[in-house]
Amino acid sequence: MQNDNIAITRSHLGQLASIIGGTALLMGIIGWIWQGSLSDIIIAALGIGLVGIVLWAALTPHEFRAFISGRQARYGTSAVFGTLLLLGIVALFYVVLQRAVIVMDMTEGQRFSISEETRNILRQVSTPIRITGFYSPRMLAQREIDDQFFRLYEIATDGKISRNYIDPDEQPAQAERYGLTYDGEVFLSFLNADGSVDFTSLSALPRSESQERDITEAISRLLISGTLTVYFDQSHEERDPLSAEPQGMSGINNGIQASGLITFPISLIDLAAVGGNIPDDASALILARPTTDFSEAEIAVIDRYLRKGGGLFIMSDVLFNENAFLRQDGLFSRYLWENFGIRALDAAVVDEVSHGQTLLESVSAAVYPENDIARRLDEENAPTLFRITRPLEVIQSASADVLNGKVITSSTQSYGETNLQLLGETETYRYDQDADIPGPLTTVAWAYNRTTGAKIVLTGDSDFATNSLVDTSGNAILFTDSLSWLTGFSDQVTFSPQAYGTGSPVIFVDGQMLDLIAFVTVILMPGVVFAIGLILWVRRMRA
Amino acid sequence: MIEVQHLTKRYGNFLAVDNISFTAKSGEVVGLLGPNGAGKTSTMRMLTGFMPPTEGSAKIAGFDVQQDSIEVRKRVGYLPERVPIYPDMTVNDYVLFWARVRGVKNPKQQTAHVLTTVNLYDRRSTLVRNLSKGMRQRLGLAQALVHQPEVVILDEPTIGIDPQQVIEVRDSVRQLGQSHTVLFSTHILSEAEQVCDRVIIINKGKIIAQGAPDTLRKQLQKGDHLYAQISGANAAAASKLLGTISGVEGVSPQGEGYAIRVKPGKEVRGEVAQKVIEGGYRLLELRPVAMTLEDMFLDLVTKEQDS
Amino acid sequence: MTGTVHIFRREMWQYFTSPISYVIAGALLLLTGLYFNGDVTFSLTVKPINPSLIPDFMATAMIFFGPLLTMRMLAEEQREGTMELLLTAPVNDNAIVIGKFLSAWLFYTILLALTFTYQIIVVNISKPDMAHTICAYIGIWLYGGASIAIGLMFSSLTENQIVAAFLSIATLTFLYLGNVAGQIVTNLNLAAAIRQISLTGHYANSFAYGIVRAEDIAYFAGIIAVMLFIAVRVVESHRWR
Repeated sequence: MQNDNIAITRSHLGQLASIIGGTALLMGIIGWIWQGSLSDIIIAALGIGLVGIVLWAALTPHEFRAFISGRQARYGTSAVFGTLLLLGIVALFYVVLQRAVIVMDMTEGQRFSISEETRNILRQVSTPIRITGFYSPRMLAQREIDDQFFRLYEIATDGKISRNYIDPDEQPAQAERYGLTYDGEVFLSFLNADGSVDFTSLSALPRSESQERDITEAISRLLISGTLTVYFDQSHEERDPLSAEPQGMSGINNGIQASGLITFPISLIDLAAVGGNIPDDASALILARPTTDFSEAEIAVIDRYLRKGGGLFIMSDVLFNENAFLRQDGLFSRYLWENFGIRALDAAVVDEVSHGQTLLESVSAAVYPENDIARRLDEENAPTLFRITRPLEVIQSASADVLNGKVITSSTQSYGETNLQLLGETETYRYDQDADIPGPLTTVAWAYNRTTGAKIVLTGDSDFATNSLVDTSGNAILFTDSLSWLTGFSDQVTFSPQAYGTGSPVIFVDGQMLDLIAFVTVILMPGVVFAIGLILWVRRMRA
Repeated sequence: MIEVQHLTKRYGNFLAVDNISFTAKSGEVVGLLGPNGAGKTSTMRMLTGFMPPTEGSAKIAGFDVQQDSIEVRKRVGYLPERVPIYPDMTVNDYVLFWARVRGVKNPKQQTAHVLTTVNLYDRRSTLVRNLSKGMRQRLGLAQALVHQPEVVILDEPTIGIDPQQVIEVRDSVRQLGQSHTVLFSTHILSEAEQVCDRVIIINKGKIIAQGAPDTLRKQLQKGDHLYAQISGANAAAASKLLGTISGVEGVSPQGEGYAIRVKPGKEVRGEVAQKVIEGGYRLLELRPVAMTLEDMFLDLVTKEQDS
Repeated sequence: MTGTVHIFRREMWQYFTSPISYVIAGALLLLTGLYFNGDVTFSLTVKPINPSLIPDFMATAMIFFGPLLTMRMLAEEQREGTMELLLTAPVNDNAIVIGKFLSAWLFYTILLALTFTYQIIVVNISKPDMAHTICAYIGIWLYGGASIAIGLMFSSLTENQIVAAFLSIATLTFLYLGNVAGQIVTNLNLAAAIRQISLTGHYANSFAYGIVRAEDIAYFAGIIAVMLFIAVRVVESHRWR
């Protein structure tokens, strides 16, 4: 009897030891994997586990041996092994498929596939491009959705476009370097030959309704960057693109460069003197408020440029000096009028209704989005602010090759004050019915020669593009989009809006229909099912 | 039909079945007799293909239970100790399901037939949950027979049912024996005696004895017994009195008298009578007694436990 | 293989004649109906109808409904003793598990089809992206299959239906929340790994958006395969316990 007692106690102890030991060991191992390192607690757990198992073996050696080598163990281990093997095969299969990126897009608008237009642009990718996305653990779901897209780009370019994801929490220094503004922001850039990111080409990806459009346009911009050059004439005391003064234009200059275009100064006078030409790589020539009018030779230089399909951005302004630039009776004005049907008038716009601080600060009353220049201004409802602007005149050109039109006009309550002398000396103006020009007045105009490809944007004001005013409402957009149109930048990146909208259209259903739907889905269908259940239950009770 | 050779089953450390061997011929009713925990259920489970033996082999209808498990299962009908039920099925559907699972050719006909055999045909639309214990037993039997197996294995089929039904079950088993080989287990000896052609006595995983009930009785009977009722004598006196007779091996109280164990073949009745009267006591009854299997069994089992 | 068919048939019969199945189905339809109506009301003016609305809801619902469908399947056989009969009948062990799995999946598919009628209503009152919706349904059908396989596996482990249900619910909850693991776990790689294992991680960012990814299909098929494999091994283990 004594032996029996001891045996029972020993086996119980042994079982206890096995349970405690096994659990401790398991927890130790899990903790080890979780932490990735051996902390004190984990070592303690593993230790207890080991001790427990040794005790178990010592107290109940038979059971221990049976567990290790008995039939149960054999079957048990083979079952576990088989399961792990199957798990391994499944995991392998899964990873292979994941790498292969086999995706079927079932959405109506093919929102998750890349279109032919994109593929065309992607064909031009030669230097490696890197998509860098910053996603913290909280944004993992977003990362996965975005990744679907980026993967497609990667595949379509055979890896020339690659993706990299950085956790901004883990690497705040990197986040700072990229200029991260929100969790989930994505950047595009070229890769240097050594595989590092070329920060000079870095740009942030905007997020809008159409992911494909955003990404493709950004890639396009990247591709174009450095291939478009814009020249600023400096020979007529124009505004200085390098000056950071309020009157300077360093703002737009930097903006141009940030978009990937190169800017250079140029001297028309010098070119005219030697009979030279605007460089062939000039995508646009910017005249940022020249003060004096052009000579014949200079006009000839410009003409030669335009005939080759050049783009000219003329920012004129109200001037009070002798031989003012683009004066109505001047050579250049006549050139523009005869060849393109546009010119600036010698007056200043006074707008009683659509104005800024003073009536001379003309605010756009109407925009004409037939031309791409005004599209965004129109869509975003952004007005432009001009500080003392000349009104422009646009006529249907006699020549069938030339198209032109207005971009921005002032209100009907405006007029062009022609007495500039008075204005310049006393800063006053008065409407003179005979002399002054009644509104609405055009303040921005465009012209396009279909045959030569020449494009001109003429504005009556230049202050809007200076550092002091360029950030005001739509001014920057006006500048950017005008330049965009002139350089053909936007042509390369045009994106036809996808035929299909952003989701199911909102439904139109009357109250009665709503009630019927509610009845069917909430009462009828569930009710029928419950009723059948009830009938079955009753029948069972009776049987 | 059933051949068991050196069958052994170990659960971890515990030896449930220890090297047993026996056979059952076609048409025999064999009883596995033993107390609870003797290894009867384990043996049956091995024969039905439920679990594999640790050592040894078993063959049913020539098929090995390990190599050809599926073939064995086709030929065996099994009723476990606890009758398994699907509570929400009707009697008919229940048997029909098993018929189908067992690959019966005309399941619906066979179901009807077997239900009639076990007398449940008029209850065929009753839900299984609403059957009495005895009816469930019959249902279990139906399921075991529906595929007309050559071998029927029943685990304690008379447990927990009322005496009337017990008799019915025993009758059924006897009847079964006419067309099937039946192996059933019990710990009630009278049952084994009444129903079996052969009895195998198992205890602690080992076969202690096997044979037809009569043969066993002869084998195990350690001697003749007499029963005597003596008035006026207490146990000690009777023992002293009769112990002197040669051939008497033991005297023990039994009921209102004494059981006298006698060496086989010795005739001592005359001497007993004489001794009683000489002693001054009155002999009220003296008769020979045949020891039942029950007695022998208990004897045997206690002896085993003591050793 | 005919063993599978017979077991499948019996289980289907069990589903269709048990009042509890109808209660479960009715409750699911009711919840889905309420949810659907709520969205319809919103969609009148505030926003367009979400094409994957009902499947998204089903993902959450399956945490409870899945286990309800499967908790008794193997646990009951063990408790009532019929497991012993099944294991001594001339059927393969995998036939038992596969037959039950297929019947539960079919029942679930029928429930899904019933909710699909709501989509038909939507077609009549607006112009939904049906392909997107069908994609979401395919996803949730696979999702349901995986949930059922998990529930069946737990049912095989124990005699007690409640324990089986509890373990299944816990597991399904964990796998459901895996998609938002990033909110609690700070280690990015760990969070990403948890998402890769989770059920919603293979539905909510792909099928729900109208994309079919081969690896998602592989994931769900893999879960079903592994869970059923384990269940068969557990059933088999009755033989050598």
